[in-house]
Amino acid sequence: MTAHDQAESRSGAAAAESKIHVELKNVSQIYPTVDASGESSDLVVVKDLSLNFDEPGINMLLGPSGCGKSTVLRMMGGVRPIGVVTPTAGEVFIDQQPCNGAHPDAAMVFQRYSNRPDLTVAENIGFPFRFELWRERVSASERQARVDEIMHAVGLADKASLRPAQLSGGQNQRVALARALVVRPRVLLMDEPFGALDAQTREDMQRLLVSLYDAHPCLIVFVTHDVTEALVLGDRVIVLSTQPATVADDFTITEPRPRTSLWQRSTDATRMEERVLEQLHKVSPGKGQVRVTV
Amino acid sequence: MAWINPYEVLSTRQARWYGVGAVVAVLVIWSAVAAMGLLSENKLPPPWKVAQAMSYLAWDGERGQSLLAVATMWSLFRVITAGLLVIAIGIPIGLAMGVSPRINAMLSPLVDPFRSAPVVAFLPLFVLWFGIGELMKVLFLFVGAVVYLIPMVRDAIVAVPQHYWISARDLGASAVETVRHAVLPMAMPRIFDAIIVATSVLWTYITVAEYVNAREGLGQLIQNARRFSAMDQVFAGIIVIIALALLTYTGLRWVRQRLYSWEVQ
Repeated sequence: MTAHDQAESRSGAAAAESKIHVELKNVSQIYPTVDASGESSDLVVVKDLSLNFDEPGINMLLGPSGCGKSTVLRMMGGVRPIGVVTPTAGEVFIDQQPCNGAHPDAAMVFQRYSNRPDLTVAENIGFPFRFELWRERVSASERQARVDEIMHAVGLADKASLRPAQLSGGQNQRVALARALVVRPRVLLMDEPFGALDAQTREDMQRLLVSLYDAHPCLIVFVTHDVTEALVLGDRVIVLSTQPATVADDFTITEPRPRTSLWQRSTDATRMEERVLEQLHKVSPGKGQVRVTV
Repeated sequence: MAWINPYEVLSTRQARWYGVGAVVAVLVIWSAVAAMGLLSENKLPPPWKVAQAMSYLAWDGERGQSLLAVATMWSLFRVITAGLLVIAIGIPIGLAMGVSPRINAMLSPLVDPFRSAPVVAFLPLFVLWFGIGELMKVLFLFVGAVVYLIPMVRDAIVAVPQHYWISARDLGASAVETVRHAVLPMAMPRIFDAIIVATSVLWTYITVAEYVNAREGLGQLIQNARRFSAMDQVFAGIIVIIALALLTYTGLRWVRQRLYSWEVQ
């Protein structure tokens, strides 16, 4: 069976299942803080946020750094920070079921790739299969097939037996992405995954993500502070204000991917970019940072 | 100033020559002082006397036995027994303290103070409780080394960056699975360092452990020689212990290098 056939059979299986739906209902996140003078106050990071996400689609959460968008992302079936209750108010539903922690159908990709330096690329990608949850869900023969398939898809087939220290930053991030995809998550949560990469590598990774998505559409929620990244990748762009994070803008982009640099310079794209920047300046003047890649 | 530059890179050969030079210098000064007769041979035996004593200890033709070999075997046996106990008991305790702040809060007041406490002071207590046999010696060595190992293992676990934990938990690993597959493997090089330190501590304490009623062992050999004012044999015994400790250290470093070659940067 070729990788393409497998892709066919999988999308067939996915179509049989109901489409996954993620709902944030009036969620808020408040951190109690104590300032230098000993006054305690509440830091409202997210305030009364309601959003709905449907499969498939690439949803971009765009906001200045430190605006609480990562907090929002983690609420959607990602693992919660240690010792923090999140959300402090409101509810999150995945397929109508309340979700209070890491969800087995959701996988996160972080800026830090957390590859184990003592394992090879192939072992790192197959890492989830060391856990009971995935050993039960995926048969031994399929595990190997999946690792091989995704390793090809992210272009690391010839690097299977190398260790992370022998790879570049972009290749390490490919390993991390492959490790998340090998469990075939229905919700892929991406927390500024390409933020630490250089411009060239970031563009490569964006192209890779688009091709992976086209092969197996799922629900992607992608956090970024890079306006260009949001416009290049997103089916939908949600602009968040900063502290507290509320929805400042929410629009769809119908332009088919891959979106060329020619499109990026088109009137449509520049108008969208201006619209986003204007919103950001309006809702969070002088706070945080956004990036525009030229 | 060729001598003051912390970033100077010496070749292995250069470094070896400087090391050999220093040892030779000490031997020369030692020989000179001894030859001049500034100190009596009872206080400072000349190197050649020590060499003689060494060869006598290594093979006693009259009695047809090697005192040194027997003593070394006994000391090695005690160090290895205590070392295995230290690893088998110390690592699980340190691991438990590292992965659970609650367990750490409970155990650290019981363990941490002993890192700076003179364990030697407890020797009379050990004799009182465990007698003067092998049990006392091995337990003394065990306690002396395990109080160093446990906090080091704990710190090794705590030093693993949190993102490894978070990323494994996000992939659906249970807490135990996360420790086993994401935290412990990352801490292993530093845990191995802890084992190396603990082994050095064992060699430090072996003479003390063998002070009390030992019939065999390097510590006893030294103690016995001192009693008969055979300072050349005392020196020989000390040199053997240092050599053994150095050998264990180098051996373990080599193993660590082989096991954790992935640990670069």
